[in-house]
Amino acid sequence: MKIEILFPELCNLFGDMYNMKYLKMCLPEAEFVNTALDEVPVFTKENVNMIYLGPMTEKTQEKVIERLLPYKSRIEELIEKNVVFLFTGNSIEVLGKYIENEDGSKIEAVGIFDVYSKRDMMHRHNSYLVGKYEEIEIVGFKSQFTMMYGDNSDSYFVEVEKGIGINKESKLEGIQKNNFIGTYLLGPLLILNPLFTKKIIGKMGAEAKVALEEETMSAYEARLKELKKL
Amino acid sequence: MKKGFKFYIALWGAKVGTILLKLLRRNATFFPGKFALKVCPDFIKKIDKPKTIIAVTGTNGKTTVCNMIEDVLKDNNHDFIDNKYGSNIDAGIITTLINGSNIMGKSKKDLAVLEVDERSSPKIYPYLTPTYLVCNNLFRDSMMRNAHTEYISSLLTKYIPKDTILILNGDDLIASNLAPENKRIYFGIDKLDTDGETCENIAKDIVVCPKCNTKLEYDYVRYNHIGRAHCPKCDFKSPKIDYLVTNLDLNNKKMILQNEEKEEEYDLISDNIINIYNILTTIVVLKQMGLSSNQINESLKKQKIVDTRYSEEVVDNIKIITHLSKGMNPIACSRVFDYVRKYKGNKVVILLLDDLHEAVNGSENIAWQYDTDYEFLNDESIKQIIIAGARYLDGYVRLLIAGVDKEKIVYKRDEIAAIDYLKLDGIDTVFILHDLYAMELKETAKKKVEVMVRNRG
Repeated sequence: MKIEILFPELCNLFGDMYNMKYLKMCLPEAEFVNTALDEVPVFTKENVNMIYLGPMTEKTQEKVIERLLPYKSRIEELIEKNVVFLFTGNSIEVLGKYIENEDGSKIEAVGIFDVYSKRDMMHRHNSYLVGKYEEIEIVGFKSQFTMMYGDNSDSYFVEVEKGIGINKESKLEGIQKNNFIGTYLLGPLLILNPLFTKKIIGKMGAEAKVALEEETMSAYEARLKELKKL
Repeated sequence: MKKGFKFYIALWGAKVGTILLKLLRRNATFFPGKFALKVCPDFIKKIDKPKTIIAVTGTNGKTTVCNMIEDVLKDNNHDFIDNKYGSNIDAGIITTLINGSNIMGKSKKDLAVLEVDERSSPKIYPYLTPTYLVCNNLFRDSMMRNAHTEYISSLLTKYIPKDTILILNGDDLIASNLAPENKRIYFGIDKLDTDGETCENIAKDIVVCPKCNTKLEYDYVRYNHIGRAHCPKCDFKSPKIDYLVTNLDLNNKKMILQNEEKEEEYDLISDNIINIYNILTTIVVLKQMGLSSNQINESLKKQKIVDTRYSEEVVDNIKIITHLSKGMNPIACSRVFDYVRKYKGNKVVILLLDDLHEAVNGSENIAWQYDTDYEFLNDESIKQIIIAGARYLDGYVRLLIAGVDKEKIVYKRDEIAAIDYLKLDGIDTVFILHDLYAMELKETAKKKVEVMVRNRG
């Protein structure tokens, strides 16, 4: 099993890299490949079981778009082939149509999904989220300058119970297409959601079990209860 | 500048408000400024300012540096205004300026020492030009306010007035590149025996050249992105240091500071590298203000890091150290964890890091824990870790992921009850690491540890 982490030297904000460290604890036999921004991604040449991209700064988004743009059709092909993708925080924006600055200028993005995002750099949105992904309750946190717009009603990741979706008017969070999952949720998403992590592992064809199951489940259940009360 | 009716209403209202708040024994360090801003939105532009303004900004150490600068200035009979007891955002700065002005809005003093929150730059610097702007470091901070270092450094660079002279940590590749067109003075500490070739921290916020995107080569790394680096492809590199610590003697708590081939010796009031940077920053600012090395050193020697940040006492042969470890601030916590692991002897660590406001009103976003080097607590010399508070289950998971042995960890919801499990056999030091807003809790915890130390069999 091969898991490719894209550009971890830059796309590593908010503790998100621990999603991969935790996954490594769950899948000790799996091979984790770190691909730097100046390297050709492994997924372009061979099959991988999962591709991960974490949150990044706004300038880095532009570099990542430039890097991934030549591989647009390959990414689309892998999504069609049901390869697992997990894009967290603002990384999902790089696969949208464009990112719009406050002055109206636009950064053209890779354009795989029919959505776009708008920046508001003087107002940071912070919130928590409780919602449903298939039969699983998801908990998580958002901290972002951007909101996403477009119709994700047929391709959302989480139906939100508490919190916001891709923008303040939406109750549908993130993008899901086949096994591609992109979400504004950030931080240690897989550690916070052991049931979801099991699901991801299952989608990769491995035995659906997680490391530190008892401990992560206790923390998950406590948070779920706490967030539902708010 | 014509001040206008609104300005005077704001000024006088704020001054009356300050008197009333003080009579009511309320904190008058924020609301007078807030009132003034509400009545007169460009109040900060209109109020007279002291001739010389020292502004201190950056992620960590702002308060400590300001405290030290102020104490040395006071000890040397300088008169100034400051926001020592007030807020470091626009309303707090305005309150300080109001308190330092007469009823016509004229500044009563020639000098101000202001701690300024980085995020408040757009609301302050367009209207107030610091003579010196000091930045000791720029690190990952609360993601909810400060997002990331690129955001904060861009904000500072955009708003720092062009006439301001910058006093910057030349060992910090992010801070040292602020407002590149401004005049600047760099300070730094020469290579230490403890510096490494690679970074062992989670957070590394400048790994590629900001000019050409090539991976930077670090000559040495002290911690996180502190160290010296250069780009192998272009001319980007760590700057030449103007004030360089050439000899750091931690055993004798002394350091040699070199400036233009002149060497001066200073005493250190702390052996913690973070505080040594704070001391160095303070010295460089005060030298720019014209104080002699003797004046600075004699005053600095009398100081100690304030109890709210650090305290130590020995009770029946066991040292009890309280250390501020700002929650949601990954680098501040990581530096403290590093200090703890390297501290001599066997230790117990009590972690009280939760944000108490979040614990009451919400659910803390714990992502910061995964930017923090909890791995440093996985050390042979740390015999027990007690983690307590609202996020105790998350803290437990984080420690396990850091590789800490389950047997070493006590995790409980109740912070004080958790201390019942303290094991003192063979322990030299008990560290109580606490958040900024947990001072009362820290004191209660400390008292309980003292009792347990005294009552041990």
